Amino acid sequence: MVVLKKIEYRPRPVRDLLVEMKDLSELMIDLAYSAALFHNRELAEEVLELEEHVDTLAYILDMNAMLAARDAEDAEALVGVSVVASAADKISDAAADIAVIVLREIGVHPIVREAFEKVEERLTRAEVKSNSILVGQKLGELELTARIGVDVIAIRRGKEWIINPKEDEIIEKGDVLIARGAPMGIEEVKKLAEGTS
Amino acid sequence: MGTVPKLFKKIVDMLVELKDTSELMMDLAYSSLLLNSRELAEEVQSLEERMDNLHTEFELLVLSSGFKPEESKDFLGLIRLGVVTEKIADSAAQIAQVVLRGLEPHPVLKLVIEEAEETVTRVQVSKKSSLVGKSLRDIQIHEETGMWVLAIRRGEKWIRPKPDVLIKAGDVLIASGYAEGEEDLVRLASGEHILRG
Repeated sequence: MVVLKKIEYRPRPVRDLLVEMKDLSELMIDLAYSAALFHNRELAEEVLELEEHVDTLAYILDMNAMLAARDAEDAEALVGVSVVASAADKISDAAADIAVIVLREIGVHPIVREAFEKVEERLTRAEVKSNSILVGQKLGELELTARIGVDVIAIRRGKEWIINPKEDEIIEKGDVLIARGAPMGIEEVKKLAEGTS
Repeated sequence: MGTVPKLFKKIVDMLVELKDTSELMMDLAYSSLLLNSRELAEEVQSLEERMDNLHTEFELLVLSSGFKPEESKDFLGLIRLGVVTEKIADSAAQIAQVVLRGLEPHPVLKLVIEEAEETVTRVQVSKKSSLVGKSLRDIQIHEETGMWVLAIRRGEKWIRPKPDVLIKAGDVLIASGYAEGEEDLVRLASGEHILRG
């Protein structure tokens, strides 16, 4: 039997939820394509983690809409919110479908990979180990963009996702960084995070 | 790889176009919602029609490419990626429909929109503009004007605003931001100094 976690209602502004879903959808799709093109199982698994998170948000968005309806007129209006929630959910499912291509070893034709490699910047996933010099540092102070041309586009902290982290975000041990940049910079970030640099 | 058959190159090109178009649709759909822009929502709908035709053409090409039995997994990966782009495009259209369905600003979305003071603007890049021939990374439109470029229209083509995209004369930039940035963007794109009275 599959047991899914109960999702508790949390009041949250609809706009915030929508903005978060937009950012998550974009991140998931980028991650999923990177996973497929570079045949990277780790990235594919992050996509599945994110999908679960989007599912939760879609539920909360729906619940907020239901609670806001007092009469038929409200219901007509609020149906739009539900439609958006289901669309966001569909997008995250689509990204998960790409991840599955990787995890089931279906693979993508190598020539496609070549075509994409020329145009796409790379994404990577790097787990911050306890001996990493990144632990306790503010993201902004590391100046990764200026130094090695890498942007940290998301941080996963346990089950929490921080999308487009701010400059004053402090990196903790165990954080999973999702970073984007040129291949060399990406390698460098991985070394820094894993404390092998 | 001089031996890559022409047909295969066409398949890859189409996949890249499907991918870019579906992601652009998603960006525009969420933006249409957050900015309550019917104009953007209508663009999403017209892109959806193009996607449908493109996707069918892509599948037919893949199926008629005469792949060998041992390549079938690689080709399955291609077909699946195509299906994903189609799913994303459908979801984007679903979001845009929420905006289009309301005759006036959708009552519930008013809640969402009320906080949004941004506007959407479109400007055409003139031959005289200093932007011509430069990449989005170099011109730093956001730093200069406070406006974010959401999409670029080049004739019939839509382009996602990636950092290495080069601006051409005649391009139409679609951007969102606060009203005061609009004037700066118009000035940059027209290449003329606007005298303030």
